Amino acid sequence: MKIGVLWNKLAEPKNIPRLFAFGLGIILIVGLIVPLALNPDQLYVRPAPQEQIDDGLAIAPYDRGGEPLKEPGDISPQYPDNAESLGMITGYMSPLAEWVSSVSPYFGTSIYSSPGGLIDEILYYTRGFDTILESSILMMAFIIASWLSINYTMNRKNDEGEIKKDVKKAIDDSAKLASQIKANDAKARAKQLRRDN
Amino acid sequence: MDFVTLGGNLLGTIPLGDIVLYLTPFNLFLFAVLLGFTLLIALSKPETQVEATMHYLYNTEVKVGPKELKQRRFLSIICGIASAGAMITGDLFNFTLFMALVGILNIGIVSAVKQTSVLNSAFNYGLIAMMCSLPLFGGAAIILAATGTLSLAVLSQMPASPMVVFGAVLMLIGILGESGVAPFFASKAEMFRTAGSPYIVIIHLSSLFIIVRAVEILLLVLW
Repeated sequence: MKIGVLWNKLAEPKNIPRLFAFGLGIILIVGLIVPLALNPDQLYVRPAPQEQIDDGLAIAPYDRGGEPLKEPGDISPQYPDNAESLGMITGYMSPLAEWVSSVSPYFGTSIYSSPGGLIDEILYYTRGFDTILESSILMMAFIIASWLSINYTMNRKNDEGEIKKDVKKAIDDSAKLASQIKANDAKARAKQLRRDN
Repeated sequence: MDFVTLGGNLLGTIPLGDIVLYLTPFNLFLFAVLLGFTLLIALSKPETQVEATMHYLYNTEVKVGPKELKQRRFLSIICGIASAGAMITGDLFNFTLFMALVGILNIGIVSAVKQTSVLNSAFNYGLIAMMCSLPLFGGAAIILAATGTLSLAVLSQMPASPMVVFGAVLMLIGILGESGVAPFFASKAEMFRTAGSPYIVIIHLSSLFIIVRAVEILLLVLW
């Protein structure tokens, strides 16, 4: 294949997402042979998988210890100076959550049931700016979607110029089709005539 | 590589919990230029295009209507602020979030247009931007798992393991797609073929600046 043909294919917006997805797929497959090893010295400490479950703790993978407002739990932030009262509400659970965790050993395995303080502290205390950005991404998406749904920029139903163009195109197409049929007809007729003679 | 070698002397930091924005002359310059440009966009009037018509003796004028103008100006200003924020952030995950915000705003600025071809290419760019969130956030997550930290100041002091290199490559793919550089430029280049120049230019400018900043961040992580 000529390189010019390839370049022309690249200039078509429709082909770009496919090309990108293909490239991404290749890289992800290459990723399977990259040696992956978790560094145990993590920000926002996390016990080894299954460790807390084997110990039989009630809120299994989320137990970081600590007593609300008395004793800080075990969260290690990047810059402890910037979050002085970190860990103070790590162990907080609502009365309902406390009751469920006393009844069921599987309380901690679903995300909605993690000790409220833990996620709040990591998300809103140490990484609050990220949370603001995340919700502003969502807000912008909603602004764009609502503008589009009110103004409906893709609507071409009542656009006069568009209708004229479509009609013209339809006429051209049908004329082209008719002439093609005519040509084919003549060809077939000539063939038949030759055969007959 | 240390960020002092790349950006010049550290002038100060803005601590926001674990996310510490740092100010070096290099980053501050990029930040100030983007903010200045955003101000210009907020004040300027959009340009109008005139399209020649084949076979007939009249031209069509492509104008930006008042409703469209408001929407596009608002999104361009937010886009300028978001890319200015990406210039001084000192946190890897924070940077990817700014990048995702810029990506969605780029689609938004163009989606207010009424030309079908432009909307079509914006749709295709949107598909890429959606796909990009996987390598972008996945790359940051892999780097976090490999090193245990997201702070650029700490990452710059760490040696790069194969896993960090893979994470950086994933992030690079995400940034390339999201900012629409070669060979993925076609869908983004088509988006520029519409009226309303300053708003269109912020799409271009934000991805340009973010690429510069991404190179700095990849150097910090890998070297």
